[in-house]
Amino acid sequence: MNRYAMVIDLQKCTSCGACAIACKTENNTPNRSKGQTFNWADYIHEAKGRFPNMEFRTIPVLCNHCSDAPCVEVCPVTPKAMFKTKDGITMHNDERCIGCRRCQRACPYSAQDVDKDKAAYSVISFNDASSEPHGFYRDTKELIKGCTASGKEIAKKAGSLPPDHNRYSHQDYESVRRKGIVEKCIFCEHRVKKGDQPYCVASCPAKARVFGDVNDKKSDVSRLIKKYRPLSLKNNKGAFLKDQEKGTRPHVYYVRSFKARPSKA
Amino acid sequence: MKIKRRDFLKASVAAGAAVAANGPTLNAFAMGQKGGAIGETAGDWKPSSCQGCTTWCPVEIFVQNGRAVKVRGNQYSKQNDGFVCSKGHISLQQLYDPDRVKVPMKRTNLKKGRGIDPKFVPISWDEALNTIADRMMELRKTGDPEKFLLMRGRYTYMRDTLYSALPKVFGSPNSISHSSICAEADKFGSYFTEGLWDYRDYDLSHSKYVVLWGMDPISSNRMIPASIKRFGDVLDNATVVAVDPRLSTAAAKAHEWLPVLPGTDGALASAIAHVILKEGLWHKEFVGDFKDGKNRFRTGKTVAASTFAEKETNGVVAWWNIELKNKTPGWAAKITGVPSKKITAVARGLGKAAPHAIVWLGPGAAMHVRGGYTAMAIHALNGLLGSIDNKGGVMPSAKVPVKKIPKYSKYQDELAKKHSKKQKIDQRGYLTFPALKKGKSGGGVVTNNVAQAILDKDPNEIKVAIGYMNNFVFSSTGTGRWEKALEKIPFFAHLTTNASEMTQYADIVLPCAITKYEKLGFLKTKANGYATCTLVQPVVKPLWDVKMDETEIPWLLAEKLKERGFSNLYDYYKNEFKDPETGKKPANGREFTEYSLKIMTAPLWDGKKDVGGDTIKGWEEFKKRGMWNSSHYKYKKRWGGKFGKDSVDKKTGKTKTKGTKTHKFEFYSETLKEALGKHAKKHKTTVNGVLKACNYTARDERAFVPHYEPPYRRGSKKRYPFVFIDYKSKLSREGRSQNTPWFQEFKHVDPGDQGWQDLLKINPKDAKRLKIKDGDTVKVTSTVASIVVTAKLWEGIRPGTVSKAYGQGHWAYGRVAAENYDAAVPRGGNNNTIMPADYERLSGSTARNGGFTGVRIQKV
Ligand code: SF4
Ligand code: SF4
Ligand code: SF4
Ligand code: SF4
Repeated sequence: MNRYAMVIDLQKCTSCGACAIACKTENNTPNRSKGQTFNWADYIHEAKGRFPNMEFRTIPVLCNHCSDAPCVEVCPVTPKAMFKTKDGITMHNDERCIGCRRCQRACPYSAQDVDKDKAAYSVISFNDASSEPHGFYRDTKELIKGCTASGKEIAKKAGSLPPDHNRYSHQDYESVRRKGIVEKCIFCEHRVKKGDQPYCVASCPAKARVFGDVNDKKSDVSRLIKKYRPLSLKNNKGAFLKDQEKGTRPHVYYVRSFKARPSKA
Repeated sequence: MKIKRRDFLKASVAAGAAVAANGPTLNAFAMGQKGGAIGETAGDWKPSSCQGCTTWCPVEIFVQNGRAVKVRGNQYSKQNDGFVCSKGHISLQQLYDPDRVKVPMKRTNLKKGRGIDPKFVPISWDEALNTIADRMMELRKTGDPEKFLLMRGRYTYMRDTLYSALPKVFGSPNSISHSSICAEADKFGSYFTEGLWDYRDYDLSHSKYVVLWGMDPISSNRMIPASIKRFGDVLDNATVVAVDPRLSTAAAKAHEWLPVLPGTDGALASAIAHVILKEGLWHKEFVGDFKDGKNRFRTGKTVAASTFAEKETNGVVAWWNIELKNKTPGWAAKITGVPSKKITAVARGLGKAAPHAIVWLGPGAAMHVRGGYTAMAIHALNGLLGSIDNKGGVMPSAKVPVKKIPKYSKYQDELAKKHSKKQKIDQRGYLTFPALKKGKSGGGVVTNNVAQAILDKDPNEIKVAIGYMNNFVFSSTGTGRWEKALEKIPFFAHLTTNASEMTQYADIVLPCAITKYEKLGFLKTKANGYATCTLVQPVVKPLWDVKMDETEIPWLLAEKLKERGFSNLYDYYKNEFKDPETGKKPANGREFTEYSLKIMTAPLWDGKKDVGGDTIKGWEEFKKRGMWNSSHYKYKKRWGGKFGKDSVDKKTGKTKTKGTKTHKFEFYSETLKEALGKHAKKHKTTVNGVLKACNYTARDERAFVPHYEPPYRRGSKKRYPFVFIDYKSKLSREGRSQNTPWFQEFKHVDPGDQGWQDLLKINPKDAKRLKIKDGDTVKVTSTVASIVVTAKLWEGIRPGTVSKAYGQGHWAYGRVAAENYDAAVPRGGNNNTIMPADYERLSGSTARNGGFTGVRIQKV
């Protein structure tokens, strides 16, 4: 059986920003609003030390597709809206989701409101129940009347909302999620099932992101995990799990160091 | 918990999947659980090119049902290996920007100024073009067509039909490019050493030592995806050193970060050269050696030139004697703030790795008042290391054998011939503006001086101006001068995609097709040893009534001028731009665009001559592939005295040189000596007189060798105690992506920055003294203006220095870029507002780096 995981090689990562933005183009996630980032992929940055020995690193983040996923545990719907696929993906079924946000509270990598919690990121975001998603392309304001467009007009003319809507189908999730439910990274299962790489992986110019089956000892992910000492995140504050610590058994692994020079900080 | 019925129906299928994953499936759609198809809706990857930065990537755009939805690199590309950077993706939000100008507009409020509503109203293309043509014709009637000014911004190589031909056939010398506002001083460094007025290519894959100097290749500069791809491996295979006053991402990742004091880079370069020579680490195969093999380079000691036999270089001994002999690491340490041990270590590391070593000269080290010689000093290190044209070193681009536009001289009437030869408005070639592009006095553009020249009406008044894809009011330093200058121009037409800052001063606005998605043209680019020709193609149908700025609009304008009795431009376009395949004359702007593109790119696809690289069979195939890769650049191509080439002008009988005078890599630049000499003669002064007029301290022989010049600063240390550093954001598409939510959201991928913010990085020590806390609002004041931004306490910047990314501070452009478009309130502050207009005069460049701007910081 497959057990999907991702390895991110921090030495190769240049914190270029391509993966997170590519994910937005793939999955049509809305712009940040009301304390929700809608960034299924995002980054956390860490700075320490004093000039000139200051150290800085970036860690690309996404859903960890945990094996002991509290988000799944707490989902009150039967069958669960947040559930594990047999391939280890933490999947979300849009239709069954009732928008209770228990998953968002339970996930150690998520925040109910990133502004209030001063959180760097949140794996799970919630589509507010009071307004339709992608408000940017529903706005009718024209900056120069009759001369410049409006969000709504663009969406209408383009024939989709958002206008750059990358349409796809999947039995569990829509390519744009409705209001009143949560959403998060689903390891691009609509691509994986077709034999393609998750889009953030396919778009990383550094090839820092590697996706595959950890149960297959010959896969690239297994090889990297064996070769280097892999680390996983403990929470959305950038802390890593210690050697014996299992946490929620996350399946996004980080190998090597973002910076080449030894630490002086 | 209550569960809805339809959920219950789906319950049974939630677990097991019907189709095994991993591994390509052959059927078009994998079957989903509810019997529907899984996967992406059908679409096509269509080739075009990205112009988000000067990397100019060949790309492909995924188009679903006529909509652009995703971006990737062109899968054929050896320049970006099929990948785009973050900016490549961001561009989708520029295409679908709610604030795109969708129709031509006319100003109805005659008063012009920052914050004054132009009261634009929509008009037809016909009315807009008639108005422009009328205003232009007035100038021909009064016999002063030189009062017409055309300002170019981001261009494709279709530029010549508009930028070169239109003003010249009309009768004006005034086609002004944007080129010198961000990087020409960089080219000065390579031209006056190796005869190359161009940006270099860097062979990262094979290098053993890489010094990134005043730039971060994974964030900006000219080979971003290629650098991102290789950077992780370069860290394994080579030593990487970042010379930068602020901690860039490259500096954060590198083996060594040298936070040099702004503007002192030349001292560091001289000291490295000193050590390389003193310790005998230069590459003998390139530079040569002492005749008896004994190293005579000893600190403080002059060397007799006759004892050294040079190979591919000129004047290594002279350089030592004039500049280097006393430039020890100890000397440089005091000036640069870089410990002498580190300087020595870098010199030794480079020497050991030579010739597979890269000293990557970036604009940060060159684009300042005294940056011309710094650029030479840094680039000259590549000469010492023999890495020029070498594996793992530094190379020029391989050739892209495209053609020029057909000659237009026979369409110039007497008035045009005479007036188009007049002095250009930018004052290039004046005593204080040598602008020595390719060694010619007044050969290059002094873009940013145009504002002053317009205000001073020197050399003449400008009455009618057109600008395209540019935003000088935002992108040039000393923005205040541009605001005033544009207020003064009686008639200004702006060709643009958005109502930018510059548009606010326009009388007529023409909405343009956006590059990458709606335009047709071509670009030349390079990386990894390969040169590339890549097509910009319309991959989607524009949503608005927009036209292509470089070809369609000039065609339409030519028609309008013809209606008014001046048909020369139209005749030129019509007669000279025939389809090279069918011989058909263009009937409209679209055909004119396609035929001119075919004419210029024909050698790549017409099969008439073997041009090397990819074989492309015909025009249709070229459009389908979207690009051409050259063969790999031939290492050591110019070794053997081929850094310059002489030819005799048949008419005058005079010898002309392309490249360096000596045909060698010049440490003692005979090429610069001649160029400065000619400029001095033109102004009846001496070379010393020229240097003085250009704010350089060097006199006599020092003028001809790479050397250290103390930094030049605007604002006294007492009144303006901090030095301001400007840097490029990874997400800034040349200052145009700020209206996209994705730029704002992910701004934090620049070290020290945060989403939706414009942060001034200040060292916590300084902040403490000024009682500034993280997130405080601060006013940054220079000798010319103030901006109000947010403070970020940051250890990645040296005490005494503050830094901020270029890009924010838009007070127009759109709803996201500006805090409040209607009230002209900027989001953050524009660096160019506080940086005074000053120049690296020898190249005509705008000074924007090297810490030339003194500022004071106050909490507000
Ligand atoms: S795309 Fe790759 S290199 Fe860029 S930030 Fe993401 S993981 Fe890092
Ligand atoms: S990261 Fe959070 S949302 Fe993802 S599987 Fe783990 S607990 Fe669930
Ligand atoms: S796997 Fe897909 S959904 Fe998850 S972060 Fe990557 S691109 Fe986004
Ligand atoms: S912004 Fe520059 S590097 Fe990035 S994809 Fe576009 S051209 Fe390439």
